[in-house]
Amino acid sequence: MWRRYGDAVYTLMTLAIFGFETIALGALSLSFLLGRTTGIASTPVEGILLGIVISTASALALLGLYLLSYHFVSNLRDRWQADQLDQWTEWWVGLALTGPDQPGAHASDRYRLPRVAVHSVLSLLESVKGEEGDRLKEALAGHGVDSWFMRRARSGHLTAKLDAIENLGKARLPQAFDQLLGLLHHAKPVVRRMSARAAGVTLAIMPPTEGPDSPHARFIQAIKHADLQPGVVQESLLLLETRAGPILKELLSDPELSDSLRWVALETVGRLGLADMAELATASCDHPDPEIRAATFRCLRRLGTVPEGAEACLLEALDDDVDFVRIQAAHAAAFLPAETALAALEPHLQDDSWWVRRAAAGSLARLGEIGVATVRRAAESHPDKAAREMAVQILLEADEMSPAAARLATGVA
Amino acid sequence: MLGTPRLTDARILVVDDERVNVVLLERILEQDGYRNVKSLTDPSGVPALFDEFEPDLVLLDLHMPKLDGFAVMKLLEDRISRDVFLPILILTADIRPEIKRRALSAGAKDFVTKPFDRTEVLLRIQNLLETRFLHLRMRHDAVPEGQAT
Repeated sequence: MWRRYGDAVYTLMTLAIFGFETIALGALSLSFLLGRTTGIASTPVEGILLGIVISTASALALLGLYLLSYHFVSNLRDRWQADQLDQWTEWWVGLALTGPDQPGAHASDRYRLPRVAVHSVLSLLESVKGEEGDRLKEALAGHGVDSWFMRRARSGHLTAKLDAIENLGKARLPQAFDQLLGLLHHAKPVVRRMSARAAGVTLAIMPPTEGPDSPHARFIQAIKHADLQPGVVQESLLLLETRAGPILKELLSDPELSDSLRWVALETVGRLGLADMAELATASCDHPDPEIRAATFRCLRRLGTVPEGAEACLLEALDDDVDFVRIQAAHAAAFLPAETALAALEPHLQDDSWWVRRAAAGSLARLGEIGVATVRRAAESHPDKAAREMAVQILLEADEMSPAAARLATGVA
Repeated sequence: MLGTPRLTDARILVVDDERVNVVLLERILEQDGYRNVKSLTDPSGVPALFDEFEPDLVLLDLHMPKLDGFAVMKLLEDRISRDVFLPILILTADIRPEIKRRALSAGAKDFVTKPFDRTEVLLRIQNLLETRFLHLRMRHDAVPEGQAT
């Protein structure tokens, strides 16, 4: 922290403390020396004391000098590196935008790029794609950086391996895609995680192709058979961005898909807002696993739509034995036709679960005037106390009821 | 200026904490003929530069340390009159719909996802600037003769 935000203050404080101590100890040494000449420090004990004081003062002076030079040198080095980074960035941007006409674009091929140059081009590759990105990748390959990363990704040294995988992810090099897929089966979970991420971002920029040997198909096979945590798979699917749709479609269409991957696929469809996949997602609404049933309705809620074919399934799920399925179904019910939603949600204002009551009241309030009127009626005259209280709470949150009216309705003084 | 403003005369403010992105956008815009481009890597300087530069378009990174794109838009909220169309184009690597919705409700007008394509960025910039200039033109035409400033 202080290295970044308090350098100047830290240096001044160090200088002040060490300066003060050095001066004080210097003065003491001088007075001892003077005493020695005048016979004051003439005993052996005083001689030893004098030696200690002088060596402490020298050590402090040396340490102070070191700290000051360290700050001075590191400051110079930071500035030099920033200048280098700026120069390389300008050069790479020039190369990306003007192509091989950029001065020196060919002359430097095959010499090893300094670390700052690689850092600069990798940052740039995170920002630019298309023709410009391809030019940068060609230049990287011209310098042998791609094969160097791929060699390091095979290294037995974990830090070097992880560093190389991260850089491959930044560079998004299609030639490294298969190696990254291979690393999804590595013994160490951290390597599998980093590789899944890097493979996802790389596939995101690869042209879509079909067939059993296409990168898409190989990616699907790899995530099906690798030992990856659901969160890792979800992250890699999210990183596919616009390329995620066909892969998610294929995953959800597979009747043999594992429950864990089906759950991930449903979550990802919802998170990416792929509304055209709502029908396909709905197919899991009566899955035997309640986690998947809940994920289906959470997905529909995020997509903001309930396909016609899913209405019956959703209405049935509102009476599911598992409360977290009912919660998600009640949330998704806000996107049913208003009349159907009203009739389906009103009875759940007195559900056993507080969360289902809350989801039902919230969804009713989202139906517009007709829904708000139902919640208001429940707040005023529902025979069930829990239903009345939940209705009041939702109306308060939606600014549809004043605190005074709420106190009156719930009978709180 | 309000007669037939040229898009390349537009004042464009680029805000991104990554120097690399700023240089890239500056060069892309320069290459396409835009001459009035100013940029910042420290978003805390946006309000002052915004007042001084009066941009026609703001290119804003969403994820920045200390002050993110949402906070910057909040700062600009009071500076952008409701009847003025001053587009903010968001540059982000985050494609989640909820982030887009949040940014749109905070005042953003369009998005470009990183890594971006040069042609796409330029087209979006062009479209937003055309809309901006049409709005300015309409406002100018709506002011009765002799009152236009």
